Amino acid sequence: MREAVGKLVGILLVLSLASLPVLAAAPPLGQLALPSLESLEPQAKVSVSISLDASLLAVAAQFLDSGQPEDRAVKDVIAGLQGVYVRSFTFDHAFVYPANAIDSLRKQLHTACWQSIMSVRKGKEDSTVDIFICQLQQKARGLAIIAVEPRELTIVNIVGAIDLDKLHRLEGHFGIPRLPEAK
Amino acid sequence: MPDELLAAARAGESDGFAALVRLHQARVFSIALRMLTDRALAEDLAQEVFLQLHHSIRSLDSHQHLVFWLRQVTTRRAIDRLRREHRSETISLDESLGLVAAESDADPLLRQHLQSLIGKLAPMPRAILLLRYQEDLDPLDIAQTLAVPVNTVKSHLKRSLAALRTQLSGLAPIDESGEA
Amino acid sequence: MNEDLDKQLRQALRPVDPGEDFTARVLAQISAKPRSLRTHWRRAAWIPAALAASVLLVVAGVYEWQQRQKEAGLAARAQVVEALRVTSQKLDLAYRLINTSSRPPSDRDSGA
Repeated sequence: MREAVGKLVGILLVLSLASLPVLAAAPPLGQLALPSLESLEPQAKVSVSISLDASLLAVAAQFLDSGQPEDRAVKDVIAGLQGVYVRSFTFDHAFVYPANAIDSLRKQLHTACWQSIMSVRKGKEDSTVDIFICQLQQKARGLAIIAVEPRELTIVNIVGAIDLDKLHRLEGHFGIPRLPEAK
Repeated sequence: MPDELLAAARAGESDGFAALVRLHQARVFSIALRMLTDRALAEDLAQEVFLQLHHSIRSLDSHQHLVFWLRQVTTRRAIDRLRREHRSETISLDESLGLVAAESDADPLLRQHLQSLIGKLAPMPRAILLLRYQEDLDPLDIAQTLAVPVNTVKSHLKRSLAALRTQLSGLAPIDESGEA
Repeated sequence: MNEDLDKQLRQALRPVDPGEDFTARVLAQISAKPRSLRTHWRRAAWIPAALAASVLLVVAGVYEWQQRQKEAGLAARAQVVEALRVTSQKLDLAYRLINTSSRPPSDRDSGA
């Protein structure tokens, strides 16, 4: 019975949507085409894949309680963002992923609005972190972080102008580490 | 005033959106026309762009952003269309195509000749030339619009202009691919 | 010669207006969407009474849909929090990498 009801709702929704032209929007500035990296999943102990576009962020915001200080702070951080995308893999052993896994991503970060704002390499720990910002007419349009560690590979792409000060205020909540004070 | 029109359009006012269409239709149509070299196709493409604008208008936060968006979406769609259809890059010299503004001060024959030569360029260098000389963008803005490195833009501009100069001076025909 | 060509190109490539008809056609396409939905609703007003029961089924279905939306919303919320956690973690890593490489060797040796 429930299934039948669900199907009927589905059919009615499809019929009403069919009268609207479906127009694929161009990806917003600051959004990267992330490599799928599906081949890494079988080798990874932990895989995280998050894709939240503007509509999903709006849905998430509806379920953040403005009456709770923590939720309000998260709402504040994501207000005005058009997308949040994360791909993260944790492995049991060091460097099981190919060095060129993210070449296509790095190529995108050398075009158009993207510029590197930080690039840290620590040979002893074999860790690197590259941070890029996409800027248009003096306004931030996106942030990209590529963190390569021996047992962890992480890519973050935030579309829109993320306020790192507001992110700073989240530390200590939701398992978010405390960041050192900015100098 | 344009920011007010955008605000009105974002609020769902059809008059505001109509005013934005009138304000930018020449820009969008001209890019489409000079890329596709076919009036009917250019009108179709321009209409698609404005329909997409209507759908996406709430994601645009300033008039500057809107103009950037229009240029980007129009040139990308035109480039995709050209590549997909492998359209011939030669065009008719028929003035009724109206590829060049009638009120232009340029010599009519030179206008047509220039348009014919531009129509022989490959999609990317053609788009770069249009953004430079129709839209008056600098190479960095063109690079952002087309999502290509700025050196690629400069290289294409240099080669395209050299080829145009050579052809205009009557020394050699332009390479069909528009590439050096 | 360069300036001449630049000037000639700018003149030749001045924008061409497609005309007032173009604007009207764009607006007609946009306004056609809600009109077709309104027509659909007017027809629905004449649906025979036998279909009224279907409306009740739809209401029940909407409730089910709302429950699924709530689950999806809570899942999206969790994903946002996780994404921000990962972002902060990697920013922290960047800071630590800079910090440990800029400290003098004696500080690092002490394990601080």
